[in-house]
Amino acid sequence: MAVDTPDRVQRHALIDRWFHWVTAATMTALLATGLLPVVGIRFDWVNWHSLAGVLLTAAVLLHVVRAVTVQGLRAMHLRIRDLSSERPGKYTVPQKLMHLGWSVAVLLAIVTGLVLLKKVGVPLILRDPYFLTLETWGRLTLLHDFAALLAMFLIKVHIYFGLLPEKRMYLRSMVRGWVTREELRAHHDPEKVARGE
Amino acid sequence: MEILRYGHDAWGRVVVNGLSWDLLPVVFGAGVAVIVIHLVIRALTRSSGRKPGPTQDGN
Repeated sequence: MAVDTPDRVQRHALIDRWFHWVTAATMTALLATGLLPVVGIRFDWVNWHSLAGVLLTAAVLLHVVRAVTVQGLRAMHLRIRDLSSERPGKYTVPQKLMHLGWSVAVLLAIVTGLVLLKKVGVPLILRDPYFLTLETWGRLTLLHDFAALLAMFLIKVHIYFGLLPEKRMYLRSMVRGWVTREELRAHHDPEKVARGE
Repeated sequence: MEILRYGHDAWGRVVVNGLSWDLLPVVFGAGVAVIVIHLVIRALTRSSGRKPGPTQDGN
């Protein structure tokens, strides 16, 4: 567990790190179960896909509640002045854009996916393909497919940037929770970070 | 290359079923392109003597 010391400052609390890695695991499972059958690897994917989707939904709901009530939204809020040459607060502009991209992909996938559960039928949800018209199911599937493709794009870019040597402080902070004070001073504005920006 | 997948309803009308899977390699290629472009920019930046920090060239 990360605690502030003379050398280190906490960047991500344990619960937020857990959220990140649970989201990563469920998103990977969702993309694999959703797209492997499309490329010819056949298996009984529906229940696993639905289970991963429900887990992701629960994690995201908890994250949204925590972000709104405990963390505040200022740190992730994208502002015009973020484009200036000033050192950033907690998150850089690319990080904020990545979060925005993931928010769009995940929320769209969750909303459409939860409705689509009614079409396919999973444990505890009675299948009813006549609940909506075929046209409406098609539109929901189209949006769900778009979310999947967006996630497929983002996951590659996100993993790439996370593995770059010069970004190692961010990967470490998502595993162990902390960055060094020197790293914070070098790449962020500690006063903005302290203000929750 | 198709953008959408189509089917028919009970009355024979064409309905959209979703996005075409022809887009899968396009999206995969777009991700690879972003990575390659960034690697090139990163290599050029380093060879010009300016080391990019975490907040200059990406995340």
